[in-house]
Amino acid sequence: MSALGFDIIVIGGGHAGAEAARVAARGGARVAMITMLRDAIGRMSCNPAIGGLAKGNLVKEIDALGGLMGEATDRAGIQFKVLNRSKGPAVQGPRAQCDRDLYAAAVQSILATEPNLTILEGSVASLTFQGDSITGVVLADRTSISARAVVVTTGTFLRALMHSGEAKTPGGRFGEPSAETISDSLRAAGLELGRLKTGTPPRVEKDSVDYALLEEAPGDERPRPFSILTDSIDQLQVLCWLTYTAEPAHELIRANLHRAPMYSGQIAATGPRYCPSIEDKVVRFAEKPRHQIFVEPEGLRHPWLYMNGISTSLPADIQDAVVRSLPGFSQAKIARYGYAVEYDFVNPRQLEPTLQARGIEGLYLAGQINGTSGYEEAAAQGFLAGINALQSIRGGEPVILRRDQAYAGVMVDDLVTQGTVEPYRMFTSRAEHRLLLGCDSVYERLSPIAERIGVLDEPRRRRVEQRISRMNLALTAGSIPLRPDQETVAWLREAGIELTSQTTVGRLLQRPEITVARLTEAAADALPQLAERFAGLSEEETEGVLSRLRYSGYIERQLREAERLRDDEELLIPAGISFELPGLSREVVEKLSAHRPHSLGHAARIPGITPAAVALVRMHLRRGVRKSLSGTEQAS
Amino acid sequence: VTSRVDTIAAPATPAGRSALAIVRIDGPASAALLRAISRAEVDPEVRKATFARLWDPKGELLDECIAIRYEAPHSFTGNDLVELTLHGNPLLVERVLDVLVRQGARLAEPGEFSERAVLNGKLDLVQAESIAELINARTALQAKLSLSNLEGTLSRSAEAVRSTLLDVISRLEAALDFSEEGYEFIKRDEAGALLRDAMFRLGEMAATYERGRATSRGLEAVILGRPNAGKSTLLNRLVGTDRAIVTELPGTTRDIVRETIEIGGLPVTLADTAGLRAGGDTVEEIGIARARAAALEADLVIYLVDATEGMSSEDRAEIAGLNEVLVVYNKSDLAAAPADELSISAQSGLGFERLLQSLDSLVRSRFAASEGALVNERQRGAVSDCVLAVEAAIAGLDSGLDEELVLVDLYAASTALGRLTGAITNDEVLGQIFGSFCIGK
Repeated sequence: MSALGFDIIVIGGGHAGAEAARVAARGGARVAMITMLRDAIGRMSCNPAIGGLAKGNLVKEIDALGGLMGEATDRAGIQFKVLNRSKGPAVQGPRAQCDRDLYAAAVQSILATEPNLTILEGSVASLTFQGDSITGVVLADRTSISARAVVVTTGTFLRALMHSGEAKTPGGRFGEPSAETISDSLRAAGLELGRLKTGTPPRVEKDSVDYALLEEAPGDERPRPFSILTDSIDQLQVLCWLTYTAEPAHELIRANLHRAPMYSGQIAATGPRYCPSIEDKVVRFAEKPRHQIFVEPEGLRHPWLYMNGISTSLPADIQDAVVRSLPGFSQAKIARYGYAVEYDFVNPRQLEPTLQARGIEGLYLAGQINGTSGYEEAAAQGFLAGINALQSIRGGEPVILRRDQAYAGVMVDDLVTQGTVEPYRMFTSRAEHRLLLGCDSVYERLSPIAERIGVLDEPRRRRVEQRISRMNLALTAGSIPLRPDQETVAWLREAGIELTSQTTVGRLLQRPEITVARLTEAAADALPQLAERFAGLSEEETEGVLSRLRYSGYIERQLREAERLRDDEELLIPAGISFELPGLSREVVEKLSAHRPHSLGHAARIPGITPAAVALVRMHLRRGVRKSLSGTEQAS
Repeated sequence: VTSRVDTIAAPATPAGRSALAIVRIDGPASAALLRAISRAEVDPEVRKATFARLWDPKGELLDECIAIRYEAPHSFTGNDLVELTLHGNPLLVERVLDVLVRQGARLAEPGEFSERAVLNGKLDLVQAESIAELINARTALQAKLSLSNLEGTLSRSAEAVRSTLLDVISRLEAALDFSEEGYEFIKRDEAGALLRDAMFRLGEMAATYERGRATSRGLEAVILGRPNAGKSTLLNRLVGTDRAIVTELPGTTRDIVRETIEIGGLPVTLADTAGLRAGGDTVEEIGIARARAAALEADLVIYLVDATEGMSSEDRAEIAGLNEVLVVYNKSDLAAAPADELSISAQSGLGFERLLQSLDSLVRSRFAASEGALVNERQRGAVSDCVLAVEAAIAGLDSGLDEELVLVDLYAASTALGRLTGAITNDEVLGQIFGSFCIGK
């Protein structure tokens, strides 16, 4: 038995594991990543795309913190598109279709440059503990590896079972094994496990499709990179296509529901409501005459298409019939059938906001094991678990992002306070102050945190600094005065704007009838100082500044509201406190005691706690503060 | 009794001799306290009126009573609760409470039982306020309104509007978060139409405030007129006693004399005032100034005109600028009033029935509310904040503002309505509400 030792072990090389390993290694820890298959590091198990609504924001947040997902996407992206482009930056979601082989290669090459990171191929059999602390892992070949912290990012691989029609195969991803025994270790450590399911759609041979019958779905004309380190997208950009299901396919699915594991009762686990299988869609949206399918290439040279929108676990013969019923697919050959996978997860209510398992020193969990779905959700958790593992072994401050600071903060808070009963996916509507969480402001919100901890690389730091100062200069354009002299009135009228009294550029932009593009166009010659302030800004930066000027009233409202709520977030609840306060019912006391909220804000978000009960706890905590203050006064 | 959720006790009926008196005990130790003072081995069956003898620690009999035990969460407060129905002697009640306190109970603060009910989600804020209103009601109509609010009429209206808001919010959110799925969740016009409907209902709710407040507080009515018009005689006749001094001499009434009667289901405080004239002494002048001030603030002014003298330009000047004026001609036995005018003889009582009917229908049509009305400033403020926010959201939708910004206003609207029922609240509001309670509620 060899005696390997590291500071931090990361189990798994998926999107969570890659971020965790990289940030911890960057912070100077000696890190081992243990993966069952070295080549599978960074593999996209499901759709070949990164980003999307709210998810794209998570990728930008990871980039601002020094993570790798944005960089890898920029190297592998073959179609970039900003979703919700017509709306404000707060709800825009950048997305990129990726070449799945290039993506995995990019992740692997980024990890290869980290000198503190060792990648070990092997299967973890169990976790080892001493008292309330984790001490390392034992591999299937009996090798013991010790560490002061372990980040578990096993995705869908814990006791994983794949379903395709009536057929069941153990495994977390097609052709890859399941991790059967880690669950026992987690249970032995006192964690409760549950069961979730997710699904994937069929893949179709590229050359078996008649593209003339499909609708083209092009990307943006000017691809917008994810990472601040990327100057331009160099990959060839390609088309995606759209097609739709029709009634005959729906009928076929309805007639064969008994053969779909979710409906036959073969899978009892809960699936994601928000990424429903085609069986689900046909049943739950019975009134819809058609469902949309994005037909996405899996890569530049990859021979398959990904049928985004018909994730399914129906048997092969039905999948064939459904796919062949689609326009353009009458001769289609399915290269790999869709399947559902069910797996163990740890209800994240058992985690601290650092993603450490509550009461188990050094054990961190991130990604799908925590009940989330999606690469971006996994990566953001992986990053935070990695940085907190790093901080714990260095004795540094934990990194807990606030809800008004990052979507990642909203996600972790949701997970640890509410838990989840279905695969958790990020949405912009989960954030109560999303106007503050737009991609345009991500670097000023988050990069300073990474810099303070020493995980922000110098090139990124410099670019962040320059971006912020460029945008701040442009923001001062808001106070440029506009006097109603003849000349000004004339060029503004030219742009369709009536100026009657003195105002500023900022106030003018807030008028609802103003078209920003027309104003800036007209101002190019007439008001050169405006154009000067915006010189050197990228299109994305310009849009960000203009929208901040335009919606400053709404943004300030959310800022004030967030500040007010922050009082509750900062009102900490001492660890050992008893919630048996005069007036609280047994039910409320039990809920509070079970959740052990760390702050009053946290307590307020626990389901079933009335606002009045929160007010009572608040009064009690404040009284406690006053008491201890007056105590100090007496002592001094 | 070791739990820190303490057990409280208080009389639920007023001090005084009566057939029965009720003592309430609330909290985790309530059943144990009952066992202790009734020397019982077991708890009485839940929700069953059970006879019990109560003893003090020395073994002396305190009283015989009927005990009813409630188990959490199925009680008024949501906690374990015991009600003891004793004989209605304040001395007995005091002794029982004394023994309960010596066994570990704490005397309840005013409003503490209702406060616990709100804390545990058994009552919303409007309902808790209604309890205080119901207990303090002085007329049947006031009681009816409070009961309607307690029963949830107002809360349900608010909830209905809130569910419209949440419907629009969730569909606008879906349109933002699922914009790529190829489904249409809501059209802007449809959102606008739903919000206009919500505005209409909010307008109806806001409009209940004037009547609700009037019904809850009662009305201030002032009898105004020139000297010797017969104001004091009218007051005495309305009240039914010789409350105000009546003489032949003009200027007898100097300070304001007040008395409360029920008109149209509302408590109406009538004020008899100094007759309005120039050239009296200093004391009379002060009285006249007070009369005018009272009339300006009054909900209702009964302006009494001496029929023998008729309506003068001075009378018209006094009436101008007052809120709600009922002109009444007095001394119909001496001179005829103009046709279609209310006329009475305060002296003989002639025409008095008609006056009472006029007052009654005026109050009912103008001030009375019998169900689901906003009754205080806190409630009005929440509804009006909601109205402002929905207005802003509609304006945003109409001017093409992005959904995520319209949603900021819609969340503000929903929060404001939540404040009405206490779905969203803060300590100050709670403190203010429960401060107005008396012990035992």
